[in-house]
Amino acid sequence: MLDTRASTPKKEWKFADLIADPAVNERWRKVRKYFFLRESTYDMTNRCNIRCEGCYYYEGEKQFAAENTDPDAWRQLMTAEKARGITFVVLAGAEPSLVPDLCQACFEVIPLGAIATNGLKRIPGAVGYKIHVSVWGNDATSQTVRKARNLLHRQIENYRGDERAVFVYTFTRHNITEAPAVAERLVAEDCRLTFNMFSAPVGYAGDLRHTPASLVKVRETMTTLLRQYPRHVLYSTYNAAAHTHTKGLHELYTCPYPRCNPSEALGLGRSFRQYHTDLTWDRAAACCVPDTDCPDCRHYAAGSAIVTSKLFRHAVDPDTFQSWLDYVDTYLAVWVNGYRKGPNLCDHYVDPPEAQRSAAETAPRSSS
Amino acid sequence: MAKELDKIIVHVAEIMINELKLEDVTPENFDPEMDLVDEVGIDSMDLATVALVLRDAYSVRIDEDDYPKLTNIRLIAEYIHRKLAA
Repeated sequence: MLDTRASTPKKEWKFADLIADPAVNERWRKVRKYFFLRESTYDMTNRCNIRCEGCYYYEGEKQFAAENTDPDAWRQLMTAEKARGITFVVLAGAEPSLVPDLCQACFEVIPLGAIATNGLKRIPGAVGYKIHVSVWGNDATSQTVRKARNLLHRQIENYRGDERAVFVYTFTRHNITEAPAVAERLVAEDCRLTFNMFSAPVGYAGDLRHTPASLVKVRETMTTLLRQYPRHVLYSTYNAAAHTHTKGLHELYTCPYPRCNPSEALGLGRSFRQYHTDLTWDRAAACCVPDTDCPDCRHYAAGSAIVTSKLFRHAVDPDTFQSWLDYVDTYLAVWVNGYRKGPNLCDHYVDPPEAQRSAAETAPRSSS
Repeated sequence: MAKELDKIIVHVAEIMINELKLEDVTPENFDPEMDLVDEVGIDSMDLATVALVLRDAYSVRIDEDDYPKLTNIRLIAEYIHRKLAA
């Protein structure tokens, strides 16, 4: 009996060889210019103009924090954030469009960032952040899950032709078949879109949570839409592979957010904070989607930081490294105003490194 | 042995200067005790990039879990030196 794994070791690639190809080298140089980005997130108000099933904001204690509505206080916070090295802000919960003056105050101090919004109220153009407009299916589904009438139509009216806007389609277990029609409509309006995965909040008992079967179906749908609309869909096959794996992001990549990472030495564990509306923060709860059930987390915002930060473990072979580059290129196009995504370098599925490792460990040993 | 370590220290400094485009410092005058995060301003992605170039140079893998312990050039050089000797 021979163990063929032992006799055919995987080639160990040098990093210099991985970036030797001119197209890969160009992409590497393009994305590494943004390694200076250091993010934190901020709940802007505890109000929202709709109520969505499974909304992470209205879970846990943060929803009860008092609102600080003073733009000067926000300017001071941003100045302090800048001083401790934060270069990128994510303005989220509950609905930032309801406090445009606070968004403006943040933008005046830290000019790189993104806002998560339901898109019902347009955020003034002077706020030059990327705008993420959340879409949860067609209008009938939005009416059911978000209690909002004609939502997609109103979102498009507000953000058609707006370079800041990216429509973020959140796949739940039940809206997968609606995605092609929604994508077609957004593309017809020349809107850009990307994908998110419903990730259950802690204690969530509803039926939007994904199953192994729904993950497979979502992956196929994402890939079809990416190939159908490569100019409008900001995504890559590796994004699809990473976010639809049966293992969640935490298990696949080891989440570096403070909530899961006790080290304060460097990276997100050192600098990331998630501020509540009263401008306080709690390290024990800090991640970009607090109150999400970590094992179920496949959230696009979480992945944008988690997968991107794992450069070293992706620099193992050309396919895996190029997939990582596609992921980072996608991340920057979705989150940084003015960044233009290039064509994907790898068009086939590559498993995340942890999945490759466990597959190799469990593969049957060939014998002769 | 001390000489070997000194050589690695200078080489790590050289790689760091080249990769991170650090200015006003040379491999010879880069203080190996200087805190890379607090004083030089590098972060995890910078360190990962340097780790990849060091992997090419020494065939030594610097595990991601070890990054937080490698807070200055001397510690990185000692880490490599130990792995080479193992």
